[in-house]
Amino acid sequence: MNALFTSAVAGLTAAGAYALLGVCAVFTYRLVAVVNFTGAAIGTAGTFSMIGFIALGLPLWPAVAAGVAVGTLAGAAIGFVMTRWFSEASATTKAAVTAALLVGIVAMGLRFTGGQHPQEFPTLFPGSAFRLAGVEVTIASVLTIVLAVAFTMLADLFLNRTNIGLHLRALSARPMAAELLGVRVALLSQLVWAVTGAFTTFALMIIAPQRSPDFMSLSLLVVPALAAALVGAFRSFRLALAGGLMIGLIEGLTSAFGSLSQYRSIVPFLVVLAVLLWSQRGARWDEAR
Amino acid sequence: MRGTSTFLTISGLACFAGLALAEPAAAAGPTCDGGAISVGAVSTITGPADFSEVPKAAKVVFDAVNADGGVNGCQIDYTISDDKADPAVAAQAARDLIDNRQVVALVGSASLLDCAVNATTYKRQNVLSVQGLGVDAACFNAPSVSPVNVGPYTLTTAMLYYASETLKNEKLCAFFIIIGGTQEAYKQGIANWEKITGRSIHLVDLTLPLQGDLTPYLIKARDAGCDAVLTNQVEPGVVQWVKTAEAQKIDGMNWLFLAPGYTVEVAKALAGTEQPVYVGTEWEPFTETGSTANAEWIAVMEKAGRSLTAFSQGGYLAAVVFLDVLNGIDGPVTRDSVNQALLTMQPKAYDLAGSPYVFGAADRHAPMQATKIMKLEKGAWTVETPDWVVLPSVE
Repeated sequence: MNALFTSAVAGLTAAGAYALLGVCAVFTYRLVAVVNFTGAAIGTAGTFSMIGFIALGLPLWPAVAAGVAVGTLAGAAIGFVMTRWFSEASATTKAAVTAALLVGIVAMGLRFTGGQHPQEFPTLFPGSAFRLAGVEVTIASVLTIVLAVAFTMLADLFLNRTNIGLHLRALSARPMAAELLGVRVALLSQLVWAVTGAFTTFALMIIAPQRSPDFMSLSLLVVPALAAALVGAFRSFRLALAGGLMIGLIEGLTSAFGSLSQYRSIVPFLVVLAVLLWSQRGARWDEAR
Repeated sequence: MRGTSTFLTISGLACFAGLALAEPAAAAGPTCDGGAISVGAVSTITGPADFSEVPKAAKVVFDAVNADGGVNGCQIDYTISDDKADPAVAAQAARDLIDNRQVVALVGSASLLDCAVNATTYKRQNVLSVQGLGVDAACFNAPSVSPVNVGPYTLTTAMLYYASETLKNEKLCAFFIIIGGTQEAYKQGIANWEKITGRSIHLVDLTLPLQGDLTPYLIKARDAGCDAVLTNQVEPGVVQWVKTAEAQKIDGMNWLFLAPGYTVEVAKALAGTEQPVYVGTEWEPFTETGSTANAEWIAVMEKAGRSLTAFSQGGYLAAVVFLDVLNGIDGPVTRDSVNQALLTMQPKAYDLAGSPYVFGAADRHAPMQATKIMKLEKGAWTVETPDWVVLPSVE
């Protein structure tokens, strides 16, 4: 029992990262109706820019700001592509376009960052917050979870209580109708892309020092993040938050069982499968199809 | 400094020219009717990894020999084929080299899957491969391939041997990422260590993920009371492993990694760590630019303007081995005469490696059984064992 608890706590680091990026994925989907495969890659580009700026001699925090700015621009650039050419496309097409963009970004990123050669990421918030069940829970882990929770609550409030939030929801549901009603569709979507770019960059800066420090691994964090978003059916921030935490904790737990841990990396897919089956439980086969 | 490097270049070239031109005085030496000797390499160049530095270094050696008039007047026509880490492309590349290019041998290949895909083809077509960098398990388990590197599986045995015999660690643990058919080879590496030392491994975990958080694994190692932990993480994974150990405030455990962890970038990325980090090398440590064992290799690479990496040592060594074999041939250089020379060759020592190289007629080949251990000290690799750690033969 104690060993189980220890393994679960050991999964907290991953859990925070998945939850934070999962909530970001839901945010993008709710506001601009895109299943965004490039989320983590945008953040990764910004994070690598930060270490580039540090290498150029910039002090840490100005480099962080500059990296976030690059991430914001990268997000806006992807947003420009998506809103300019694919705003009327179907959700499937948009998802496919971001998946293609992800492949392109990873290829370029690997080329510019020295491939599999590791980089040194500065730890923005070094040290350990507390020790639980024999596991050091780092400040960075706690921070990702806190940020994920804060982002969930703020996003809920923003979408349900503010005028811009209302416009954004209109925009994502019926972009043409929203435009005819006078909502500045293009500007707002750009803004959403830029904001998520900035936010995921900052998230990645916290997460990166604890993960494999190469461009591809960090960009592929989008997989568990999208699994978490799917738990929330790309609608509910809270469920996505819970989903991300759950996937991380289950990943930690499986490492306690020798026979299970070799299947550890398929946990996100199992979770997604279970959620899909559960969410379709009421539907009869014909309707579901 | 400039003077030293010029001296090295000149002396290196002198040795090198001597090596290339040293035909037996009495015998006729190798001859070529077609005018050139066709040699090939299959390498992963584009795709998830880039091993092209290995065959490119071999090409540097062959180019230098060609510029000097070739091997007994025969030019070497060296073709490097990209397998893109794709089995179909790898098979096609091998067929092209064998059927169309009519290569007499493969030299300096380095690929994620060349051996796994092509070793049986080489056997069937009667072509032998002096592999520049054996990566997949088949490279060390086929009659048609004999790598010039130690390889991850023998290095597994060697690192455990160093930990138990030199560091005097009692509880040794091993965590492996298993890709493709490597599981049996790693298990065999551990079993060989157990046979050599009469000890048994404390903990083996074959479930390390390619991607993902490592915290649960480090906690597992700590709670198991491991004195030393060996993993086969590659570069970014090494950094992540040590950083996670630091985050968990683990101390008193030795971290052992295989040759992929031995890069300048890893040392830089871990410059701030206090954790004891050891890696095993494939050859004479490439970061020791002052070492005499490296002098010839450095001279040749610098003259060609190529960077000094471990990969280039592999390509260089494979090419030098092959040239020695060629020079021992008396008469026409054909696939048959090269095979004959490789299969009957005597073990030959090279400064770059701790064991003599031999091809021979065995069912499988792992001639390299020695490593040097490097330790991470403040952002740089330092030689922990100036003498080679040579594995005793497994009874």
